[in-house]
Amino acid sequence: MLDRELKKGSTELMILSLLEHEPRHGYELSKLITSMSHGVMRLHVASLYPLLYRIEKRGWIEGRWVEKAGQRRRRYYRLTPAGKKVLATQRRSWRDFVEAINRITGIQHA
Amino acid sequence: MPDPFRWRDEIARRIAPLGLSPAREAEIADELAQHLEDRLVELRSTGLSADDARRAVLAELADDETLAAAIAVGESAAVEVPPPGDDRRGSAWTTLRRDIRYGVRTLRKNPAFSTVAVLTLALGIGANAVIFSAVNTVLLKPLPYRESDRIATFWLSAPQMGLPEVSLPDALFAYYHEHTRTFESLAAYTGAGFTLTQAGEPERLLGANVTIDFFRVFGVKPLHGRTFLPQEETPGNNLVAILSYGLWQRRFRGDTSVIGRALSLNEIATTVVGIMPPGFEFPKGIELWIPLGLNRQSVNSWYLTPIGRLRPGATVESARREAIALDDEFVGRHPEWFPHRDSTRTQAGAMLLRDRLVGDVRRPLLVLFGAVAAVLLIACANIANLLLARASARGREMALRCCLGASPRRIAAQLITESLLLALTGALVGLALAVWGMGALRRFAADQIPLLGQSRIDGRVLAFTIAIALLAGVLFGLAPAVRGARVRLQDALKEGGRGGASAASRRLNNAFVVAQFSLSLVLLVGAGLLLRSFQRLLAVDPGFRAENVVAARLSLPGRRYPSDTLVRGFYERLLPQLRVLPGVRAVGLAQRLPFTGGNPQNTFVVEGREPRSGEPQTVANVRQVTPGYFAAIGTPVLRGRVFAETDVVGAPPVAVVDETLARRYWPNADPIGKRIKRGGAPNAEWMTVVGVVPNVKHRSLTETPDLWLYEPFGQVTNWGNYLVVRAGGDPANLISAIRSEVAAIDPTIPLFDVQTMEQLIDRSLATRRLTNALLAGFALTALLLAAIGIYGVMSVSVGSRIREFGVRLALGAQGRDVVRLVVGEGMLLVAIGTILGLVGALSLKHVLSGLLFGVGVLDPVTLAVVPLILAAAAVTACYLPARRATRADPMAALRAE
Repeated sequence: MLDRELKKGSTELMILSLLEHEPRHGYELSKLITSMSHGVMRLHVASLYPLLYRIEKRGWIEGRWVEKAGQRRRRYYRLTPAGKKVLATQRRSWRDFVEAINRITGIQHA
Repeated sequence: MPDPFRWRDEIARRIAPLGLSPAREAEIADELAQHLEDRLVELRSTGLSADDARRAVLAELADDETLAAAIAVGESAAVEVPPPGDDRRGSAWTTLRRDIRYGVRTLRKNPAFSTVAVLTLALGIGANAVIFSAVNTVLLKPLPYRESDRIATFWLSAPQMGLPEVSLPDALFAYYHEHTRTFESLAAYTGAGFTLTQAGEPERLLGANVTIDFFRVFGVKPLHGRTFLPQEETPGNNLVAILSYGLWQRRFRGDTSVIGRALSLNEIATTVVGIMPPGFEFPKGIELWIPLGLNRQSVNSWYLTPIGRLRPGATVESARREAIALDDEFVGRHPEWFPHRDSTRTQAGAMLLRDRLVGDVRRPLLVLFGAVAAVLLIACANIANLLLARASARGREMALRCCLGASPRRIAAQLITESLLLALTGALVGLALAVWGMGALRRFAADQIPLLGQSRIDGRVLAFTIAIALLAGVLFGLAPAVRGARVRLQDALKEGGRGGASAASRRLNNAFVVAQFSLSLVLLVGAGLLLRSFQRLLAVDPGFRAENVVAARLSLPGRRYPSDTLVRGFYERLLPQLRVLPGVRAVGLAQRLPFTGGNPQNTFVVEGREPRSGEPQTVANVRQVTPGYFAAIGTPVLRGRVFAETDVVGAPPVAVVDETLARRYWPNADPIGKRIKRGGAPNAEWMTVVGVVPNVKHRSLTETPDLWLYEPFGQVTNWGNYLVVRAGGDPANLISAIRSEVAAIDPTIPLFDVQTMEQLIDRSLATRRLTNALLAGFALTALLLAAIGIYGVMSVSVGSRIREFGVRLALGAQGRDVVRLVVGEGMLLVAIGTILGLVGALSLKHVLSGLLFGVGVLDPVTLAVVPLILAAAAVTACYLPARRATRADPMAALRAE
């Protein structure tokens, strides 16, 4: 149970982070997650888009169809002000969480 | 390189069950499809083959419900579930629209199922539309006359004389016309033939002699010119004619200057005074009307058919009673005309014109209507079964919808919407079939079914079609909808993997199969009984041999053939000429032939058996025939001889009677040498019976034997006659030779109504033939549908029990044991259906009364053969799924268990 919640929360956090500085489209997000995690994390269509739609509905991100010269029309997502706040909160709690885990696992390994 | 795989459609298909708005759905499909295409290119660039890459992408897409369910969670606001009791119109409308959209998509997703269902329905609904359009035109729609439900006819009858219907003589009609209180206007008519000789070949026209009020009765006004004037009623002033629109167009190219012109009709100059509007054609096939020239003093010929417009409020019953009362009054005033009438009270009948016209076809039409409705019911049961099977297969879809908050009622409404969509599509295709079917029916049956020629797809047929489509949709959609709505999440997910049918749904399937087979049995028994009747009918001996005989009519104009001697002179020249034509075996002449309609009858008196005063007189069919007639038509001589060339005026009067008459009057004596004379005329001569011939059927093969009296043409001469020519081979080859022989003697005399005797008999059977063909067709369709039905049900049953069969086979059962098990289960259903059907078939006794001939409802042959046919069809239909059961893999079954 914890695992699933954890993964869900972490995926949200990843997407919000990747959108922090520039708008991106879904395929780009999926590529970035795979490459930046060195293949450890993969997010396929069936999980990625439902998640995007869900957080879009919550008002954290905003999608827009954009046509760029020489490219096909794509839907770009960008962070909304509300999303920025959520990102900050989630980052904080993630850091706390990771530190807590590290502390525990560090003791165990010590 | 773009991938040929249609990713966008694939996504759209998978998210279709969510019922999103089209715009949102398109957006999602676009976005995801783009992603998948990019991913595919990426995988290809790593060296994967196109197929492997596509498989990998599909795998990433996960299975249908996962994607849909995940998106549904994200889109939760879009999947609206109306709160219970929500009845705002807008919302209901939105829901309906969404249901329809979703229904269309679902049906498109299963093209095979949808096509089969739509075609089955189209056949059922189309056939119903065709038969209903006939019922509508023939039985329901008013006749094309003003207030046609007030137009009625009546007739007298004298059952004690063997006369079910008697027409009126001039004087009696005139009395009715003067004294009637039930009819607002009253007219009389009689059919008449006219030879139009006007530049070119003489043409024979079908006309009617009518009294002056004829057109007033129908409330019809002439298109051009006028109708008849009162003074044109009297003989001598009646040389005027009104033309039908058809004749006017055909013969005179619609030229109005024909009015006022004189035409030569039967060589009498007759002035055209009017033209009737298109569509007015009464009696059927009539092309011109001539005033009758009523002879108010004549009671000699009983030939007039009365027709009248009832006063508002008057009924046919009051018309019938008035007919009797006025007849009694008339007879009382003229005792000199009716010496025998004191105790033979006349009876009468009256009917609305529509009922009179429709007469014999009402019952066959209603039987066909019932049959076609049964076919539709059977088709509905098939579709209900298909839908039930699909409802099981769609368990997970329903579970998902349930999960998302759809109420059972919403799911049921969705399923019913799908059924109605199917039904309406079926109706649309069915209507197209109906247009074609009605054209075919009109072509084949317009001659036999009165009014049918006017049948069209009108508002009423459309409304009926839509109504039965909706009814059918609800009928076959209800059970699956109730079942679908009852789906429970846990059950669906548990059972979903197997796609099995629940016990309840199987029971329902079985009930449908039983109902289908019992209905099919009733239809097949009905069709079987009619076919057996027909077989019996064809075996009836008509009293003559129809093969190789051609008949044609001639009528000599009274103007140029004013005496019997001249008429006889014409035929005495013609007949020998015909006899020597190559291929001719025999030639004869008769005033009327069997199966040509009309039936001249006369009272007769047998010497020593004269009726006492007050005793009813007896009537026989009377024919004047030439010596060659019996050989030509193929009626053998039972005793004595037929007429000879020496039986002419001046020689002793002779007669030939039929066996029925002979048996009735001289049961124990030799009829030859006995004497008989015509009744009525006091100075009629006694004729000596010289021969006895078999009874001849005149109107139909089913009639009870009449009494027959034949007189020699040489002694009693007629102007209008039928030629009968027997050929050695095909008589059709002789027709042109006969024509030229007639023309060689008198070129102004047309030969008309040329037909073979076989065609004439055939025509008398045409309505039966048509009813039989249609009913047999409907019954076979029913059988086919029932067989498809049991096939479907057994297939689903085998499919859901395939592991059971595997286990049985693993435990040592043989293939044939499994076949026996499956076929046995199917046959149990058929047996129940057959028993119920046989009970139902007993009701055919009333339904088919009057249509059967020589067989009863309990005809053992029909009742034995029909269940065998049903069983054979059912065994075949069950065998295919049974074979599949034997191929169940025992190992797979054991692994699964």
